[in-house]
Amino acid sequence: MDDRAIVELYHRREERAIAETDKKYGGLCRSIALRLLGVREDAEECVNDTWHAAWNRIPPDWPRSLGPFLGRITRNLSVSRWRRERAQKRFDGMDALISELEDCVPAPGTVEEQVERRQLARVISVWLDGLEEGDRRLFVRRYWYGVPVKELAAERGEGANALSQRLLRLRKALRAFLESEGVEI
Amino acid sequence: MKADDMFDGVTDIRDDLIGGAGKARKGGGRKWWLGAVAAVLAVAIAVGAFLRPGGGLTAYAVAQAQYPGQARQTDVGDISSLRPFFARSAQAFLTGTPGENRVYSPLNVYVALSMLAQITDGDSRGQILELLGSGGMDELRRQVSDLWNASYRDSKKAVTILASSLWMNKDVSFNQDTMDLLARDFYASSYRGEMGSKQFNEALQDWLNQQTGGLLKEQAGNIKMHPNIILALATTLYFKAPWMNEFSKERTAPQTFHTPAGDMEADFMNQINTKTCYWGEGFTAVRQSFEEGGAMWFLLPDEGVSPEELLDGGDGADFLFTVDKSQWDRQKFALVNQSIPKFDVADQFDLEDGLKALGVTDVYDPERADFTPMTADVDGPITLSMANHAARVVIDEEGCTAAAFTVEAVGGDAIPDDEVDFVLDRPFLFCITGDSGLPLFVGIVNNPAGN
Repeated sequence: MDDRAIVELYHRREERAIAETDKKYGGLCRSIALRLLGVREDAEECVNDTWHAAWNRIPPDWPRSLGPFLGRITRNLSVSRWRRERAQKRFDGMDALISELEDCVPAPGTVEEQVERRQLARVISVWLDGLEEGDRRLFVRRYWYGVPVKELAAERGEGANALSQRLLRLRKALRAFLESEGVEI
Repeated sequence: MKADDMFDGVTDIRDDLIGGAGKARKGGGRKWWLGAVAAVLAVAIAVGAFLRPGGGLTAYAVAQAQYPGQARQTDVGDISSLRPFFARSAQAFLTGTPGENRVYSPLNVYVALSMLAQITDGDSRGQILELLGSGGMDELRRQVSDLWNASYRDSKKAVTILASSLWMNKDVSFNQDTMDLLARDFYASSYRGEMGSKQFNEALQDWLNQQTGGLLKEQAGNIKMHPNIILALATTLYFKAPWMNEFSKERTAPQTFHTPAGDMEADFMNQINTKTCYWGEGFTAVRQSFEEGGAMWFLLPDEGVSPEELLDGGDGADFLFTVDKSQWDRQKFALVNQSIPKFDVADQFDLEDGLKALGVTDVYDPERADFTPMTADVDGPITLSMANHAARVVIDEEGCTAAAFTVEAVGGDAIPDDEVDFVLDRPFLFCITGDSGLPLFVGIVNNPAGN
């Protein structure tokens, strides 16, 4: 079923919308949640919460692309759960992502500390636009989809170490770009 | 900034970037298309030098629109048919951000959507035509051409010019008939280059700056074309005019403006005139005429009523988009003590949410979007990836030029039967109309100093 038809089911308040969503995007959302949280039960709960959130948001929303719309909800729910629980329980998946992304954080004092999330996303999108296609895909698959480095290396037929170095260069490039954008972001 | 913020920032990157990386690609590196069309719109009213398209962009130019030395005298006919579009779009694009200044140009968006209709087909086009209230493309092209000519003004004192351009990906073949129609009926110049390159982005930004006298430089700097964009449409509307009845600078004085966030001080222009006052449920309004035609309308909501509420289908929206306001039944001639804050408000936003709420959804859906009239040279789906709209409105004592002289206000020698204080000291609505009553700009001022 195409995205529009699924969204129309939501707008008609037909519960079949959730089954169709799970059929088409369950795999995507489960893999995102699992990669971020590492615990299958937690991931499954996040996915169920994603369907619940989608049911509440459509209508009034009319998502243009259901995949990114749902994936974004899953990421947000996963990170909320992780933030809630990180004081007691730590897991490498999210820790690793957060730790790696620290490389992109501009040096203190050069960028305003409080950067609005939407503006930051816009700047990152512009930076991604300027990358070669391969690098753009690599960055998004690693940091949006949360695909592990080893898996990415296998996908691309490259060594994991070389790929890690490439990711490090990308993160530093993003930091330089954010800094060059200064306080505007 | 913390790494958590970076995580959130990455979460909210654009959909097409996410979709483009969704599946594993063994081996990588294969060139592929995620087709996209971008509509870029920029509008301005303010002082500044006006430049015609062309200068500095010749390296990319494919065709230059031939502007008339003088516009045809055009009767735009019964433009009341456009009223539903103006009213619905104002509600969609100006509400939902309480407390912020909002500005958009109904005419500019109308022309941009008309161009979008020209390069689409099927339901994608049908949804746009339905929103614009048009029966078909022939009718729409005639309408746009008439609106263009009816709005055109380029005198020493006043300028109103719509401009359009097409920014084409050099790797794609386009349907020449469609491009010709766009050039002829939309006065669209066309440019071809490497999409996503710094040079091509700068060329588009230069064009936008030229068309808008450099007044939207900051907003134009935010416009960057993704390498996967096939075609970008850009339309601009530039307007400047002096008041018919200039405000005396000696009478301008600081006064309190009550913003939703608290009180602030603003410079208020003061004038006493005999003129017509209009009112309806929830508002009072007056007109401030421009010297060579057209006017700016100020709508002051009653205490406790927000500008957004006035746009919500009641009397306010009715009044705002009534082309011939002399027909409005609640008006009286009065001595009006006007106090209007000088303001400089700018806005930039993507039209996507508003367009979807207005029923234009197919152009965003890879499975439904139909851009076949534009090109048959792309294998993958083509969607509209960006519809960026920017606007800026500035008013001061003179209107928009240094030279002006005072003319008595409308009303002749009738004796006013009332005296009205019209003090815009709280959030209000404004609308700038051309000679024919077309709304060129509509906005909400919550803070005269800008956001």
